[in-house]
Amino acid sequence: MSVGRPGLGGVLGSPGRCLTLGLIACGYALLYLWLGGDIAGGGSGWQASFPAWSRLLEPRGPLQFEPVGLLMAGPLVWTFSPLNTLLSLLMGMLLGLNLLVGWRLWRLPRRCSLRGSSLGLLAVLPGLLAGGACCAPLLVIWLGVPVAGAVAGLAPLLVPVALLLLLAGLWLGLRQLAQAE
Amino acid sequence: MAVAASPPVLPEPSGSVMHDLAAFRQAVRSGGPPKDGIPSIDRPHFVAAEDAGLADEEIVIGLYLNGEARAYPQRILVWHEIVNDEVAGEALSITYCPLTGTALGFRRGDTEFGVSGRLVNSNLVMYDRATDSEWPQMLGGAIAGELAGRGLEEVRLFWTTWGAWRARYPETRVLSERTGHVRNYRHDPYGSYVPLRGYYRPDSGRLFPVMHDDSRLPPKAPVFGLRAPEGAVAITLEALSREAVIDVALGESTYTIIHDPGLETGWAYRNSEGEAIDHDALTFGATGIEGPGMAALEPVHGFEAMWFAWAAFYPDTELIGVAP
Repeated sequence: MSVGRPGLGGVLGSPGRCLTLGLIACGYALLYLWLGGDIAGGGSGWQASFPAWSRLLEPRGPLQFEPVGLLMAGPLVWTFSPLNTLLSLLMGMLLGLNLLVGWRLWRLPRRCSLRGSSLGLLAVLPGLLAGGACCAPLLVIWLGVPVAGAVAGLAPLLVPVALLLLLAGLWLGLRQLAQAE
Repeated sequence: MAVAASPPVLPEPSGSVMHDLAAFRQAVRSGGPPKDGIPSIDRPHFVAAEDAGLADEEIVIGLYLNGEARAYPQRILVWHEIVNDEVAGEALSITYCPLTGTALGFRRGDTEFGVSGRLVNSNLVMYDRATDSEWPQMLGGAIAGELAGRGLEEVRLFWTTWGAWRARYPETRVLSERTGHVRNYRHDPYGSYVPLRGYYRPDSGRLFPVMHDDSRLPPKAPVFGLRAPEGAVAITLEALSREAVIDVALGESTYTIIHDPGLETGWAYRNSEGEAIDHDALTFGATGIEGPGMAALEPVHGFEAMWFAWAAFYPDTELIGVAP
């Protein structure tokens, strides 16, 4: 079986894979923004206003930023922070790369362990738990489970840990791929 | 922004303190957001009642002080928890904790209060921007910092519906959504009061540990509570509505709680002379309750809370409305 070019170039070696990466990144970003409270229900009609550009860089938590505008499309409301959106897309892309690397490793003639990519996949959880509109992550509030005390204390670490896990997973995966190929 | 003068303080909180300060400090934990991650509203804007765009059944937190009435929609406060306001020449902090369902007003002097991001018994821990002391909202007293052990001067707020508030105070002004922050004010991240769902359902679980657990009522069942130097009492809203006037002995003092059918809340009084109050003879108006015997009663602070939080702060509380 041909394994093609090494490294990221090889992983993204076709338009189909680039499209897959884009879809994973956008899907994860939407999920992240929804669980973080940036996207929620409650809307009616159409509206776009950006009254708070001065808050563009103002943090509301570690690696979480104040919205600058509000976009309403029917029942959906997006309190839009450019930095939160960029961060969610970055995490989504890293997750997508982890998945593509994992898939490529899996397809190799000599099956490799998926240690690296699994590490990247682990990052999904802290990333999605990080968002909390007020106290406690939204996911915990919705589930109504009494673990908020434990999770909330870790809140400052969740996004940085997710990013580190994604990067470490990708690095390990690419190294394994290079060795195998 | 830090402001120099500390808030006006009392030697101790208005109600009895049933845990020592060290135990409170030990029970404090992070709620998730950092300090001011939930931003207080420091330059509030108001609109006239007819421009408020509220439905009659929506929950508002009402304030009536020196002839001025204000309504703070719950759906705005849930995102900010504190409004540093000035009403009728008095500097006040209007505070609301969604996790315990409590709304209390405090005199703030020349400083402001902010949201620390920390909780005790799931209750908002405020900080003052002059001394950085930490004040659990329900306690109304500082547990840490320069002012530890001191109490705040409390101002009664009313947890009611927009329709009821507007009927009592037609000239009320209403907090505007122009808060200086972008938030989705049509969406409550915890659930909904109308219809009742999510975190606010009486039987739903609490999220954070508490200092004392009491299962005589479902965790989020709303109670009207009063805490006095002699002790504390909580009354279920059903019992308050049914009995209309309830006399309670705390220590050697008698307190009388009167149901207000217009606002669906209670008014609490110290009843030193043992006046018997006939609810049918009372009138409920903008300035409060009038009628035979009322002049002899001394108003004290009472407020609604979720049962689990009340019991956690006041473990020795009496409870009225539950069969023994």
